[in-house]
Amino acid sequence: MTDIAPSADALHALVEGSGAINVGSHAIEVHGLEKHYGDYHALRDINLTIPSGSLTALLGPSGSGKSTLLRAIAGLEVPDGGTVIIGGSDVTYVPPQEREIGFVFQHYAAFKHMTVRDNVGFGPSIRKQPKAEIAKRVDELLEIVGLGGYQERYPSQLSGGQRQRMALARALAVHPKVLLLDEPFGALDAKVRDDLRQWLRQLQSETGVTTVLVTHDQEEALDVADHIAVLNEGRIEQWGSPREVYETPANTFVMSFLGPTAKLRGELVRPHDLVLSKRQIDDAVPVTVERVVHLGFEVRVELRDGESTDLSAQITRGEASRLELAVGDQIYVRPGLHVDPVAPDSAQPAPGLEKTSA
Amino acid sequence: MILSRTSRLTLRTVALTYLFLLVAVPIVLIFYRTFEDGFVAFWESITTPAAISALSLSLLIVAIVVPLNVIFGIATALALVRGRFRGRGLVQAIVDLPFAVSPIVVGVSLILLWGANGWFGFIEKDGGFKIIFALPAMILATIFVTLPFVVREVEPVLHEIGEEQEQAAATLGASRWQTFWRITLPAIRWGLTYGIVLTVARSLGEFGAVIMVSAGVPGESQTLTLLVHGRYIDDHNTFGAYSASTLLMILALITLLLMTVLDQKRTER
Ligand SMILES: Nc1ncnc2c1ncn2[C@@H]1O[C@H](COP(=O)(O)OP(=O)(O)OP(=O)(O)O)[C@@H](O)[C@H]1O
Ligand SMILES: [Mg+2]
Repeated sequence: MTDIAPSADALHALVEGSGAINVGSHAIEVHGLEKHYGDYHALRDINLTIPSGSLTALLGPSGSGKSTLLRAIAGLEVPDGGTVIIGGSDVTYVPPQEREIGFVFQHYAAFKHMTVRDNVGFGPSIRKQPKAEIAKRVDELLEIVGLGGYQERYPSQLSGGQRQRMALARALAVHPKVLLLDEPFGALDAKVRDDLRQWLRQLQSETGVTTVLVTHDQEEALDVADHIAVLNEGRIEQWGSPREVYETPANTFVMSFLGPTAKLRGELVRPHDLVLSKRQIDDAVPVTVERVVHLGFEVRVELRDGESTDLSAQITRGEASRLELAVGDQIYVRPGLHVDPVAPDSAQPAPGLEKTSA
Repeated sequence: MILSRTSRLTLRTVALTYLFLLVAVPIVLIFYRTFEDGFVAFWESITTPAAISALSLSLLIVAIVVPLNVIFGIATALALVRGRFRGRGLVQAIVDLPFAVSPIVVGVSLILLWGANGWFGFIEKDGGFKIIFALPAMILATIFVTLPFVVREVEPVLHEIGEEQEQAAATLGASRWQTFWRITLPAIRWGLTYGIVLTVARSLGEFGAVIMVSAGVPGESQTLTLLVHGRYIDDHNTFGAYSASTLLMILALITLLLMTVLDQKRTER
């Protein structure tokens, strides 16, 4: 599971082969989508616009309707109301076969009785492409996903991560307009997941194929996505760039789903936005130190306030040693000044379309 | 459970004696009687016109019943596993019915339904197309008793493979037919083969339902099982009955052997 970085040449070939890049338009539009399962209201008035060439994450807790939404986009689920538009045409009632999509399932959905070669070549062979052409394309794609030389193996002879990369190659083989991934790394262990995530990010930004990724892992969404749609109980709570949803959450659900929170005077704050001091400054709240936990480069300070509610603050090591905190100390805590939203962190690309011009 | 050496030996002896007396001895005895006078006598007895006709009729019934059961068995299994419709429980119960109903009852009810005075009697009376006491009824009877095998063998496999592979094929552009031929059928092929083997074995061996609806004319409407019966009871030709039985058993053994080989293949995978 080491060298899985796509080679530049191979990627170039993929980009040329793929008709996916369509600068400036919206690859996917969803308007007023509704879905019921019996009495259960799984999707409620979903409106979503996904720009071409972007990587959008659908993020939400289990049962929030992420898969249902993705499957409705794919045509694997027929909505009760609303429309789905892919590449400018209304596909709400078009079967998945005709949507020109690539879909990757959480549990790979590998064709068990076929070799890796036949799995990846399935789409092209359905399209009756010449055998030699299919073989060439398959070899090319397997090279890209780091499975060169695995052509004759069966899925049962691959590791989970390899199976998922095979599934990705299979989906890409048909030049999809959009790539839809339903928790593609959910069944893999943490290290492999991390590798594949970075690899997907690179693959996506170089091929520019519009990608929608379902995940319940906020770290994964913040890490790879250009845009995040946060779902809860069948609704989209917020849509925005990772920074927007993290720093200016629309409501307490988004705030608490995207990261740890602490409650100070009834308001939710991020633990790392709390400032501790020995003296009372402004209207800081008096608290007692319950526990000091060293987490490598950060220190978590667990505190208890006058009404005996617990909260924890995340501070740097330097800060911690300057304060000389000890259990039982009486200190003061207040929300920190908000960080200037423009100054640092310019490495994070702004959400949007510029990467398609690369 | 830990058993002493003697009790273990006793247990084994009892089990083996039981098997031997009840299963092996009767079969071996028939083989013995058949080949007592040499192979030639056996061969002559199973190549009489009546015997050849019985063998061909049995095989003909198998050849008609198997494809029908395969098609309807797969369709039923697909509907039961993939479909969402009311009355699934009822269909499940109906599929199991042939296991519970005695074959002779099947025969009687077929006569009731298709006979000259039955509901569908007009087909024979007005259309002149003979069903009861002819091949169609024998086929109907055999279908009835073998109906569950393909369904019950294919169903769990369909459950196990799930719907995702089929959905993946759909997103890759495959039509329903293409998905069936290239994804579903290869995935269920072992279950299907097993179901076919069971169907063949049961079709060859069916007696109770068939004797009710067959005219039973030697050389014309006798299956192998009916031939055994006819030779023994009507002709008092015991040797002929033994050799026809042996022929039936040889066919059954071939099917059994096939089944074992396939089963091994299946567990290997
Ligand atoms: N075929 C179905 N029949 C009935 N209810 C369903 C069906 N599919 C999904 N649901 C229900 O719809 C809701 C949303 O399901 P969905 O699979 O979209 O959730 P999810 O956000 O993908 O969750 P997870 O992270 O667990 O995969 C759930 O409450 C689920 O029980
Ligand atoms: Mg899901």
